[in-house]
Amino acid sequence: MTRTDMRQLLLDWLDDNYHFGEAATLIPSDDASFLDNGILDSLGFVALIVYLEDKFHITIDRKSLNRENFDSLNKILSFVLPRLGA
Amino acid sequence: MSLAGLELVFFLPIVWLLHWLGPRRAAWQNTVLLLASAVFYVTWSPRLLVVLAAAIAASFGAGAWLGALPTEGLAEAELVAVRRKRRRVVTAAIVAQLGLLGVFKYAGFFAQSLNALLTAAGLPDALPILHLVLPLGISYTTLIQVGYLLEVYWERAPACRDPLAYAVFVGFFPQLLAGPIGRARVLLPQYLVPRRLLANDIAAGAAAFLLGFTLKAFVADWLSPRVVDPVFANPAAYATRTLWISLFGYATQLFSDFAGYSLLAIGVGKVFGLTLPENFRHPFLSKSLAELWRRWHISLNTWLFDYLFAPLTTGRSWFRGRAGAGFLVVFLVSGLWHGATWTFVLWGLAHGLALAGHHAYDGWYKGRCRKDRRWVAARKSRSYGLVSWGVTQLFFVLTLVPFRAPSLGAAIAYAKGLVGLAGVERLAERFGLQAAAIVVFFVAYHLLEVGPGPAWKQRFLALPAPVRGVAYGLVLAFLMVYVPLGASTFIYAQF
Repeated sequence: MTRTDMRQLLLDWLDDNYHFGEAATLIPSDDASFLDNGILDSLGFVALIVYLEDKFHITIDRKSLNRENFDSLNKILSFVLPRLGA
Repeated sequence: MSLAGLELVFFLPIVWLLHWLGPRRAAWQNTVLLLASAVFYVTWSPRLLVVLAAAIAASFGAGAWLGALPTEGLAEAELVAVRRKRRRVVTAAIVAQLGLLGVFKYAGFFAQSLNALLTAAGLPDALPILHLVLPLGISYTTLIQVGYLLEVYWERAPACRDPLAYAVFVGFFPQLLAGPIGRARVLLPQYLVPRRLLANDIAAGAAAFLLGFTLKAFVADWLSPRVVDPVFANPAAYATRTLWISLFGYATQLFSDFAGYSLLAIGVGKVFGLTLPENFRHPFLSKSLAELWRRWHISLNTWLFDYLFAPLTTGRSWFRGRAGAGFLVVFLVSGLWHGATWTFVLWGLAHGLALAGHHAYDGWYKGRCRKDRRWVAARKSRSYGLVSWGVTQLFFVLTLVPFRAPSLGAAIAYAKGLVGLAGVERLAERFGLQAAAIVVFFVAYHLLEVGPGPAWKQRFLALPAPVRGVAYGLVLAFLMVYVPLGASTFIYAQF
């Protein structure tokens, strides 16, 4: 999966579950914090982790569950893509 | 000694001077704070200081043990063995901490409940009832230590090597009785380095302390004996309207008491150069229960979320992906944490079920949104927001009936009174100047968070220090004239 495909997949998930077609416009940049910009709340992050693990058959250990890895599009892409061998 | 008590006027300046006049080293500053914390605790219970010290020593030792068992760079076979050992260490350490809490806080409750069950079945009592004195603050210090152990176990925080810093991290006197519950990753590093005396910290600390004292002494302590206590003591005697007034009065009192305490603790922390976590963020503005629990007792709820809800719903058990079931577990635990009584269990169950219900409704609503964008627009409308706010706040306030009532029977009597099956008594206190001042203060406090409020607040904070000083001085003068010195105990210190 390419970075572009993965980015679109994340936007689709955000649209499908939280922002209904507005995710791309709500996120000011790919580095923007999801938490600070109200894109996801803590419950949303939990749902996102379960989605990523189930979708890509990966295990995200507790050590990695932090804002440094999941709080923006770029952070998620940088964390997940290497684990897919992309 | 209390954070809002008269003794603090003498105690705090002495500790403050010792802290800042000594060498600017973390070891000195931590020693002063640890000794001050011990003195503070001893004024409540000298014997139970030993229990607290033993618990801190045990969790520090377990953390150091985990730190001596790193997993990085190990070969697979060795990794499996080390992971197993780490799991055993953390399990034993957490069981020890929770066991201590269990013995002191829950042994009597479970023995009573089991005996009642046996009596109902016509059998003799099986367990003796222990009447142990609950070490003050143990509910908070246990969570701080369990959180630390989990962070070290998950390798999200390093094991602390400084016993002095660790002891102050757990037992720092402002947070000892009722939090905020400090987290290892954020708070512990602050104790490892020397703190600097900054004018901004003193100003911020004084402002937080003043606001906290106002909430506690001016609002909570006024409401408690006049509006809340007499009605909850005998709900069947009071008229429906009075019961409603008293219930809203209790919501205001509870918030002011606990948010007030948290601000006092945060303020004291600041004058020592420490930033304790925020504990309340205007919860009465919340438009959903999930939002309310992100704004009320934040340090407890984020603790429960990070160490219970998230592992439960992202782990491999049946709970995976089942947020509703996760809410139920978390709020049953939260209820029991607040107190070992069935009224708190009922309160937790009500919130767990309501959050699960709201989650299910949310899922259903999102389904509608996917099909038709008008549902998205409806959710963003002012009327939807107003109804959501009203339902959320009404539910929260209603669940304070079992939270405050001394027994299930009293809670039922109160609930019946709310729907009309009530007495005729009214409050002795008339709605006078102070009641009006409290309402205005409370509403203004919340309105400063909406619309142009935050901008006004920033404008005030940007005023020259002498102007702000005069404003704070006027508030202080008002409090000294109208509020009796020394406040009552804090509600959340009982938990």
